[in-house]
Amino acid sequence: MRHHLARRLRAAGNALEHVLGGLGTSVLALGAFLWLVVVAVTCLAGIGLVLTPTVFTLTRAVADRERRRLSRWGPEVLGPPPLPATTRERLRDPAVRRELAWVARHGTAGFLLGVVGITLPVHAIQNITFPLWYRAFEPEDGGPGLVFWRIDGLGDALGVLVIGLFLVAVAVAVIPGIARLLALPGRRLLAPDGDVDLSLRVAELTATRAAALDAHAAELRRIERALHDGTQNRLVALTVLIGAARRAGERNPAAVAGILDRAQDATEQALAELRAVVRGILPPVLDDRGLAGALGGLATACAVPCRVEVDVPGRCAASVEATTYFVVAEALTNVVKHSGAAAAAVTVRRVGDRLHVRITDDGRGGATESGGSGLSGIRRRVAAYDGRFEMASPPGGPTTLNVELPCGS
Amino acid sequence: MRIVIAEDDPLLREGLTLLLRAEGLDVVAATDAPGPFLSAVGEHRPDVAIVDVRMPPTHTDEGIVAAVEARRRQPELAVLVLSAYVERAFAADLLASGSARLGYLLKERVGRVEEFLDALHRVAGGGTAIDPEVIGQLLTRPRPDSTLERLSPREHEVLALMAEGLGNAAIAEKLFVTEGAVHKHIRRIFAKLGLAPDDRADRRVTAVLRYLDAAEK
Repeated sequence: MRHHLARRLRAAGNALEHVLGGLGTSVLALGAFLWLVVVAVTCLAGIGLVLTPTVFTLTRAVADRERRRLSRWGPEVLGPPPLPATTRERLRDPAVRRELAWVARHGTAGFLLGVVGITLPVHAIQNITFPLWYRAFEPEDGGPGLVFWRIDGLGDALGVLVIGLFLVAVAVAVIPGIARLLALPGRRLLAPDGDVDLSLRVAELTATRAAALDAHAAELRRIERALHDGTQNRLVALTVLIGAARRAGERNPAAVAGILDRAQDATEQALAELRAVVRGILPPVLDDRGLAGALGGLATACAVPCRVEVDVPGRCAASVEATTYFVVAEALTNVVKHSGAAAAAVTVRRVGDRLHVRITDDGRGGATESGGSGLSGIRRRVAAYDGRFEMASPPGGPTTLNVELPCGS
Repeated sequence: MRIVIAEDDPLLREGLTLLLRAEGLDVVAATDAPGPFLSAVGEHRPDVAIVDVRMPPTHTDEGIVAAVEARRRQPELAVLVLSAYVERAFAADLLASGSARLGYLLKERVGRVEEFLDALHRVAGGGTAIDPEVIGQLLTRPRPDSTLERLSPREHEVLALMAEGLGNAAIAEKLFVTEGAVHKHIRRIFAKLGLAPDDRADRRVTAVLRYLDAAEK
């Protein structure tokens, strides 16, 4: 019990220290916020425009102070990249906007909270010590803080002491909470944006890296299987047929021509399959004709009329182009096989450093990733590049595939 | 000689059938999967089964499993396994169930028709035929100094040929020595491996397996 009490008191003491620190930064934030309001108002008159840069630097300085304070107390709060050069860019920067929001919140609500947090223990001490110095005041003056009534003699003064003890209990109970509340906006708004939560990002990268290795292994397995089932078996059949032809040459020359015919067929099949495997690894057409040409070729070969629109200045990384080619080839195969569509369209567009690929058809829709449609293959291959894959295929159509890949260049 | 074939590649299946029939052998069934293969064996009771290792559905070791099962049902069935690769574990699996009437060849050996037919007849006649490549890989595996006394290079050669399933006369011919010399080598090999000096076919393969076993420890 005593242990528990001591711990609570110590926690309250620590929290009080944080409240003090929080109150300090909230005063600074209040100053920055008032300055922001002043500059904003004077901007209406035109004069404030020259002063706007000071708002951002002041805000950043106060925010950095709060970051250091929070980092001392708990997990480190990482700072944002340096301020952009122009006011317009600054206003667009999410980190700057979040700092401004923090200044507004910490400078107002935070300031009030800090004042309450400090007043509480100050009043408690005044009330507890009141019996020692109540004589210095007139009875009509009342006691310290909220004690406004008339104090007559030691009895009343001891009553105030009891209130003081009560205030101590309240302070011990609520000050840790106040300290946390004071830190909350800073932890929320001054840390890197929630969208780029670093730990999540690390987990995601780890997963996609594993997916890349999986995709790689799956690709190797596919190639091995294709070489084994195709080329190797053809060559074995070829050697069997050649052996048979040789034996036949000794006793039944009439049969030789037929056997050699089969041998030639086997050789041609082996070549065709080998070509297919090689193409699957890195379609040579990409090198020859670029992404637009290669996709145009796919569309021409597609049994469903297909329009292709490629707006990609420059080249992307070879593996990204190969993946795009694979995705479109696979999607168009699906369109032909399953959709019953009369027309399909492929658009590829580069936005910043992302490649947006969209394949639509006017077929019957209802496509799912199960059922060996190759969609899960697309998803895996896209995920391996840290890309995004979305499909909308309501029953009755239309089906839309959206794929987003990093250009890697 | 009545033969059942199990090979999932149509072209190779046809080629094999064509080749064997041209040699006057009786191919009674040519199947493309373990299920049909086993029913064909049950129906035709052939003398020899020629089985591809990789078959549907997973294309891993279905052929080996089917061959082992076929022999369980019909113990006197001779089995010649064809494989695209040397798959050591499969060879060992197969030999573990006894080596008489058993063969394990790389697919391309079929093209060397004389050798292939020789191996087929050997297996059908109760012998063993193991691909030289398989034996080579098994015997040249790096091994730590084993508890076994090391074999001399010549004994090693004799053991390898023995493992392929060759008889004393054939080994003598290959090594340009007399049959008596081969016999002496084999007795010494058996002694070093702790086997009774009896060179029946079974014992010969036991020797190879014993040697490989020891090499692995």
